[in-house]
Amino acid sequence: MSAAVETFFPSGFDSEAAVSGVAWLDRRRADALKRFRAVGIPHRRVEEWKYSDLRNALEAPRTRETLGPTTGDPFRGVAGSQFLVRDGRLDWASSKPSLPRGVEVLDLTALRDDSPDWVKAHFGEVLNDGTVGQASLALMRGGVALRIGPEIAIPFHLRFEQREPAAHARVLVIVEQGASLLFLESHAQCDGLTNIGVEFVLAPNAQLTQVRLADTAANAIHIEEIGVRVARDAKFRGHFTQSGAKLARLELAIALEEEGAEAALSGAAVVAGKRHSDITTHVRHDAGKTQSRQLFKYAVADRARAVYQGKITVAKGADASDSRQTAKAILLGERAEADLKPELEILADDVKCAHGAAVGDLDAESLFYLRTRGIPEREARGLLLRAFLEEAVAEIPNEEVRAAAWRFIDSGISQTGEAAQ
Amino acid sequence: MTILDIRDLHVVVQGREILKGISLSIAAGEVHAVMGPNGSGKSTLSYTLAGRQGYDITSGRILYQGEDLTALAPEERATKGLFLALQYPVEIPGVTTMNFLKAALNAQRRARGDKELDAMSVLRLVRETAGQLKIPEEMLRRALNVGFSGGEKKRLEILQMALFKPTLAVLDETDSGLDIDALKLVADGVNALRAPDRSMLVITHYQRLLNHIVPDRVHVLSDGRFVAEGGKELAHELEAKGYAGLARDAA
Amino acid sequence: MSIAAETKSQVAELGEKYKYGFVTDIEMERAPRGLNEDVVRLISAKKGEPEWMLEWRLGAYRRWREMREPAWARVHYPKIDYESAYYYAAPKLAAQPKSLEEIDPKLLETYEKLGIPLHEQKLLAGVAVDAVFDSVSVATTFKAKLAEAGVIFCPISEAIREHGDLVREYLGSVVPVTDNFFATLNSAVFSDGSFVYVPKGVRCPMELSTYFRINASETGQFERTLIIADEGSYVSYLEGCTAPKRDENQLHAAVVELIALEGAEIKYSTVQNWYPGDEQGRGGIFNFVTKRGDCRGARSKISWTQVETGSAITWKYPSCILRGDDTVGEFYSIAIANHFQQADTGTKMIHLGRNTRSRIVSKGISAGKAQNTYRGLVSVHPRAANARNHTQCDSLLIGKECGAHTVPYIESRNPSAHVEHEATTSKIADDQLFYCTSRGIAEEEAVALIVNGFCREVLQQLPMEFAVEAQKLVGISLEGSVG
Repeated sequence: MSAAVETFFPSGFDSEAAVSGVAWLDRRRADALKRFRAVGIPHRRVEEWKYSDLRNALEAPRTRETLGPTTGDPFRGVAGSQFLVRDGRLDWASSKPSLPRGVEVLDLTALRDDSPDWVKAHFGEVLNDGTVGQASLALMRGGVALRIGPEIAIPFHLRFEQREPAAHARVLVIVEQGASLLFLESHAQCDGLTNIGVEFVLAPNAQLTQVRLADTAANAIHIEEIGVRVARDAKFRGHFTQSGAKLARLELAIALEEEGAEAALSGAAVVAGKRHSDITTHVRHDAGKTQSRQLFKYAVADRARAVYQGKITVAKGADASDSRQTAKAILLGERAEADLKPELEILADDVKCAHGAAVGDLDAESLFYLRTRGIPEREARGLLLRAFLEEAVAEIPNEEVRAAAWRFIDSGISQTGEAAQ
Repeated sequence: MTILDIRDLHVVVQGREILKGISLSIAAGEVHAVMGPNGSGKSTLSYTLAGRQGYDITSGRILYQGEDLTALAPEERATKGLFLALQYPVEIPGVTTMNFLKAALNAQRRARGDKELDAMSVLRLVRETAGQLKIPEEMLRRALNVGFSGGEKKRLEILQMALFKPTLAVLDETDSGLDIDALKLVADGVNALRAPDRSMLVITHYQRLLNHIVPDRVHVLSDGRFVAEGGKELAHELEAKGYAGLARDAA
Repeated sequence: MSIAAETKSQVAELGEKYKYGFVTDIEMERAPRGLNEDVVRLISAKKGEPEWMLEWRLGAYRRWREMREPAWARVHYPKIDYESAYYYAAPKLAAQPKSLEEIDPKLLETYEKLGIPLHEQKLLAGVAVDAVFDSVSVATTFKAKLAEAGVIFCPISEAIREHGDLVREYLGSVVPVTDNFFATLNSAVFSDGSFVYVPKGVRCPMELSTYFRINASETGQFERTLIIADEGSYVSYLEGCTAPKRDENQLHAAVVELIALEGAEIKYSTVQNWYPGDEQGRGGIFNFVTKRGDCRGARSKISWTQVETGSAITWKYPSCILRGDDTVGEFYSIAIANHFQQADTGTKMIHLGRNTRSRIVSKGISAGKAQNTYRGLVSVHPRAANARNHTQCDSLLIGKECGAHTVPYIESRNPSAHVEHEATTSKIADDQLFYCTSRGIAEEEAVALIVNGFCREVLQQLPMEFAVEAQKLVGISLEGSVG
């Protein structure tokens, strides 16, 4: 077995023997394993992983590093139930549930033949493409399933912590008709391999706002694949900020399945050191009158590398769809790199689609202007950097959460040598 | 006391010599005007004074309050009381005007060893001056210069001049793009800031600004050299004869 | 090689046949099916090539054997059986139409619409032409004028014999023998093509198009072109023709290499209108082309303009390697796909030198059941300080059955570089169409009008005399797309 395979599969894992005795679950996991095995661990010759060579990252020798002081949950202070997933398993003891009636939480290590229908209907069925996502199902240790009943609105924190060298986990969230969920996701620094598969199902008129702040160690391999199904007049918003890692990849596959479905994605990331940060999205307009917006901003310092791949597909007949996508990167370091691939796949004629992408540096004119006002260069650069990211952070609808995102970003800016505020 | 003393200044921009040996001396409290046609080197002079990268002094020197400016970064010059009002103030999306003013004010205070002001104090300070310049508070909440009219941008420059209280203010074509009402508003703002301890260098193409901001001395710049100097009446002469006529007389 | 080719090359070579002591006297009519070293040797021998050229071809052939056909483009076609194809055929083989009466009237109708003169119509349709002495004299005049300026412009097979040193130095220096499956195949078996050398400081006295149109553009299915612009020179070259060409070969795999030395400029324009297949998607050319320019010297410039309306499948990415400092690369493209056509085309701009600039304008039009893909790469290397790129990529869809796809790659590794990419997708607005028709313009004509407006920026880049024809061509290739 290669180093890559050894790292990827948790020690002592014997895939063929990983049976729970729960027929529906074992079947899905076996299928997932088969699909994953057929493709294997992706590498740079696999088009979708061109800029994120997972096999190579797993094969390169990695020393466990001394982690920085635990920064704590960036969402501390924001109201809502808090759940902790530790080393891929839901940790009830450390969780602080305070859930209203109509909200159900389930530990994914405890799936049974008589698990609720909402789990059986969707678990492992939403995120069904993407090879690494298959692995998170096949190799999962556990995770959490959540159902928000009709017309209920709650905030919910999910925090991931990991000390073990490898953990695969799954999350399933069902937001029922007219319900509204603020889903705050944070990751504590860890330096191992993390692979999380997330499934979101939005019923008609449901709203889900996800804000994800992922603090990962420079040495970590951190992958998360999120699959989203959006029904009629439902709206998914996602804001993603990650500090990058040896290889950090966030992949979103969003299906706008019925008329009026909407997705709004944004992200602001500062990547420094020798870190890598990849955000890959695929938004599918499967029905007409659907809308999507994307706005991603990256500041790349030192020898870091930022990757954005955004694919928009408008299916045949999905008329009157509207799709906009912007990705911008600023390179701050002589050896920094940005790779952007904004892709359109249009099979309907009555659509509005536009995308834009740009890579550049901080505007010299603006920098000079600020300095003539007495603002020192370092501070002026920090000001311009924040101004550049501002547009994307402003997409976060909740003020408290937005402030948390700014704190996270500012600590990233301070690591680049550009002045934070 | 001499505030600004420029001696035989030569400046090269992108390999081309733009200023070809100019000298100028401004005493405390004086207002000097530099007039010249397009391409004569007016903006090069203002950018060189402010310390913009790419404006290389090949010979000569600039003394500001007796100190050589050339080695100083733009922000150091600003902190020492040199203010440049730009011909085209820069638009910076994402930075609110108020936030910018606070950052600049406090940066200068910090550099001078003064205590920084909190947001409320800055707001109070800004409000006073903004009113006189007819700058509505709503404008201060918008991103810096983004979507501002020409007049609004220039008023904001003057507002900064009032806030920073410079020793030497360089006004680069502050009149460009202004109608007569806006011009008057800006000129009144500038005139209100005239003081015995504040000098100004007003750079302009047209004489009309000088009807409102009356200079003590006028220097005529043509092809990188001063071709005529005199009192305020020189501006009127220039208006009558044009730059070509004056250049002929000078030759 | 089709009949047209033979006629045209005979016409063109009349004046120099004896001068160069070369007679294309081919005895063998056809090499056996399939490709092996013997076939490569035969091709080389038939062309009287020197040993080094044969070795070069054999090297390519051996490499090709190890390669696999690329599958990444968004094109689908039945598997090509490389073993059953002919790689060498003498030109006299096919039956030759005796007059225009024997030609498909649809083809003639198109010539008519494009306003192509009668004798050229015959040339293009491959009719045995006996009344083209005008052209001969015209060609000779051109030839004299070029010689006076010191410009070498001749078939590449001739250049291999007559200007071996130049060919040896530059052939394969931009598109290496091992570059890709189709380019490697071409390197092994290329039939013929053009060679241009413009000496130092010379501004080529004419658009090479003018000559080209009359001289044989017909060079078979594996065309090879090499253009070298020496220091400070300029040349404008137009390949192809607005008129649809009769051709029996289904697979075309051409290679074009451009080299611009210090301060030189090459403008390369293409109008590609090979047979696209019929309205049911039967037949049509597979056009797999490798085109690349190398701005090798400082301050050089290479500009590609293409109007791609033909072929069942188009697979081409004319690219620029901006190696020298202060070099400029441009790519202007119109790609129209109608009925069952598939186009996957775009460019690569590789910024290696400082202050390099590139500009990409791509206009893709899809109609019928066609699929049209823009695929482009802008790559800024660490040394390419102050590199600048601007890309505008617009797609227009006509009808509900077609597809328009955009796949741009932006890779920047220099902090002072600025790269900007914009893309839009839209359809012809009903109100635009209504406005035109309400003014008495027929719907099809209105579509042509609107599409021409959409493409204007690119059409403007074409040499004058072709811009007009290309405009008409835009309309013609969209016939049957509305209504």
